[in-house]
Amino acid sequence: MSSSLSSTINDQRVFKYLLIAPAVFIILLIGLYPLIKLVVGSFQNISMFDNDLSYQGFVNYARLFGDERLWESLLHTVAFTAVALPIELVLGYLLALLFLEKLPFKQTFVAIILLPTVISPIVAGSTWRLMFDQRFGPINQVIGWLAGGDVKLLWTVDPMLVWPAILVAEVWQWTPFMFLLLLAALSNVDKEQLEAAQIDGASWFMTFRRIVLPAIMPVMFIAVLIRALDLFRVFDVIWTMTQGGPGTFTETISIYAYQMAFREFEISYSSAIAFLVIIILTVAVIWALRRVELAR
Amino acid sequence: MPELKLESINKFYSAVHAVKDVSLDVPAGEFVVLVGPSGCGKSTLLRAIAGLEDISDGEITLGDRSISRLAPRDRNIAMVFQSYALYPFLNVFENIAFGLRARKMSQPDIDKQVKWAAELLDINDYLERFPRELSGGQRQRVAIGRAIVRDADLYLFDEPLSNLDAKLRDGMREEIKRLHGQLGKTFIYVTHDQIEAMTLAERIILLRDGMIEQAGPPLDLFERPKNTYVAGFLGSPPMNFIDVTVRDETLILPDNQTLKINRNGKSGLAAGEQKYVWGVRPEHFSQSSKKTGSLRASLEVIQPTGSRSYGTFYLEGNHVLAELEAHIGEQNTREVTLEVAIERTVFFDKSTGEAIT
Amino acid sequence: MIRWDRGWRLGIRVACAAIVALLFVFPIYWLAAISIKTPEEIYAFPPVWIPSEIHFSSYVTLFRDGDAWSVWNSLITAGVSTVLAMVIGTIAAYSIVRFRTGGDHLAIWIISQRMIPPICVAFPIFLLYVSWQLVDTYLGLILLYTAFNVPYVTWMMRGYIQEIPLELEQSALVDGLTRWAVLRRVVMPMARAGLFATAVFTFIFAWNDFLFALILTKSEVVTYTVKVTGYFGSQSTFWSKIGAMSMLGVLPMIIVVGTMQRFIVRGMSMGAVKG
Repeated sequence: MSSSLSSTINDQRVFKYLLIAPAVFIILLIGLYPLIKLVVGSFQNISMFDNDLSYQGFVNYARLFGDERLWESLLHTVAFTAVALPIELVLGYLLALLFLEKLPFKQTFVAIILLPTVISPIVAGSTWRLMFDQRFGPINQVIGWLAGGDVKLLWTVDPMLVWPAILVAEVWQWTPFMFLLLLAALSNVDKEQLEAAQIDGASWFMTFRRIVLPAIMPVMFIAVLIRALDLFRVFDVIWTMTQGGPGTFTETISIYAYQMAFREFEISYSSAIAFLVIIILTVAVIWALRRVELAR
Repeated sequence: MPELKLESINKFYSAVHAVKDVSLDVPAGEFVVLVGPSGCGKSTLLRAIAGLEDISDGEITLGDRSISRLAPRDRNIAMVFQSYALYPFLNVFENIAFGLRARKMSQPDIDKQVKWAAELLDINDYLERFPRELSGGQRQRVAIGRAIVRDADLYLFDEPLSNLDAKLRDGMREEIKRLHGQLGKTFIYVTHDQIEAMTLAERIILLRDGMIEQAGPPLDLFERPKNTYVAGFLGSPPMNFIDVTVRDETLILPDNQTLKINRNGKSGLAAGEQKYVWGVRPEHFSQSSKKTGSLRASLEVIQPTGSRSYGTFYLEGNHVLAELEAHIGEQNTREVTLEVAIERTVFFDKSTGEAIT
Repeated sequence: MIRWDRGWRLGIRVACAAIVALLFVFPIYWLAAISIKTPEEIYAFPPVWIPSEIHFSSYVTLFRDGDAWSVWNSLITAGVSTVLAMVIGTIAAYSIVRFRTGGDHLAIWIISQRMIPPICVAFPIFLLYVSWQLVDTYLGLILLYTAFNVPYVTWMMRGYIQEIPLELEQSALVDGLTRWAVLRRVVMPMARAGLFATAVFTFIFAWNDFLFALILTKSEVVTYTVKVTGYFGSQSTFWSKIGAMSMLGVLPMIIVVGTMQRFIVRGMSMGAVKG
């Protein structure tokens, strides 16, 4: 009896590693190996013209500091995140309030609003590029109606207009994400607590600050974190709408890294850039998680 | 402190008529309990008074002001919720102070008020704690504290004890009654538990299907129920209902045993022979040594509770429970002779269920 | 503070909701309209808002020119990688939940893999694929999508499996089932809804991918997203093809939001909101 039991326990030990092995293997292969390759590459000096595999120390990292185009693309990325995120958050919250109570055809409305979020960012970018077309797009037409006269705004070319155009596409695609998560969070706010606050005579603002906000905070944090990470790596929408242009005017860090690696074949330098991005993200996420833990 | 008046309150949920034409006066300082089974409309009525539920029709006045169209915060009421509805992100002190802050009371006054309420409820020691760190009973006290700290015209309680275990509930019941005595404010209390209703109320309002079935002091309802519904709802264990025939001065039980009755106290009983439902509470029985004027029963089940024992017997299919002396189960026979306090029993019309007076 | 009349409030809210829904759906409507317009209507000024007739010629062109092959490529790579990622991720999740394999750290490490921006590992992966001759092959793209989605599946299924009562599995073990049989006959059926929802999201991620397809394909296994961007030329832009190809990419997503709304919250919030 005891021998059969111990064999079961042995079986179980093998079984549990057997189950997890494929996942670990494939992540090591496609996740960790490239990462190591990246770090190693960043200390070499490989480019289109130079296949030298010798180690060059921190040359590439030193180059980062003097690279104006890099810092500009980082600035674009951070600024874009800092503008888009609050807009999505506030619009998403307002939408969630609208749909919080019972509403006829609620499911249908929500399904329609969600559609942008599940389609490919490539399709979203293409759609908005067509919408913003100076001649055949409806945006300029509508603005023309309001302005009274033909309008020929070059949304994807004019330096004054490209960022707003990208922002519109991004906000259109991802506000529904915020909306959906905040709607779920708001629906879970304890009804009796809200009623108690009503009876206690709390104002709208006091109820929001003291009861609603703390209650939806965890979900809001997750939503903001997911979106911030996405915005930081934004690539597809900008790629379809402007390819980072005019010039490098809408170049984000992802687009710059892509250009460096696949257009200029600055292999080692682009590795250094990639590593810098990973470090920035890791530090930012750890900092954010710490802050949340402190708040609790 | 003003008087609360409800005039012809109606509430519809689309097709469901949840509260039907309810009118009620609550004088200042009274402790009123709305009681009834779930779905009788008692909570809806309370929430309508609070303003958490719009009324479809009717008028609610508090003193000389009509409050039926006012937002809850403008009605000057306080309420204790079933789930306590404590704000999880505020500590006990801030939970109690919440309503005072909302009303822009000054900090020294808030300190004074909260301290007063905390002392009254004996929760001084954990003002700094958060709701999740409290036991059920402590949370209950905080919830009550949050209500009483306010100088409201009306204090509403929505099944406040239903989440507590039996022992705590007994203690809190006593506490709430004591609080009412100390504060002298108007309390309106909703419960489905008839014991809570009986023990707490100065006046019970028994609701059924959105209508007031009977209203009055607890013992009135208990001793002079209007019909079988009220009689069956109040009292635990509940009243026995036995099909009987009354012929002149004789009460004929289903198994043809007879008892003598005195018609003087029961003037509503029809002359001649008539069938009735006879309502007898378990405590109306007592063991007797007399051979006449008593009924013989064979106890099938005996349930001792310590102080008393409940004996079950059957009268031709009528299940009857009698409250007897504690050691009845130790006798060597299950055959007993029982005396009935007939003057305390109630006769009901067999078809309508209305009490005969 | 007199309350607003209920009917009025509801009417205004419904109107607002309708306007918002209209704003969000309009770009997609515009795309759909372009895909069924005639070239004359597409290049009309001022723009035509409602096509006079429905023309499928744009779609016909896609199929005739062989461009629609890229949709098939997306379908194959996304579909096969979804099946693989689901199998690999689910058994890994079961191991983590039931046997606490790797403690808490392994699960966190696996999900953190997903935080790394694709662009950061794109080049090393490209080099790897060149040396393995996996560039522009189905196997290459499928392998990549699988690897990319395994962390997500593991993380999500971990949440769903945690919700299955342990007693059910214990009773099956007592009844004489092997561990493997418990996984197949108790755990899988119990996690059916979660499996389905997770699979749909896994498919969406692969279906919507652009960067990896851009880097790792040339001609044979080009996906529809890469194809769409190719239509934006410097000289001329193929509007009808963009419209039709994009619509082919959108159509499966319309089915998704129409049929599985209740899973979407959980799927999109990485399981943080149970919905």
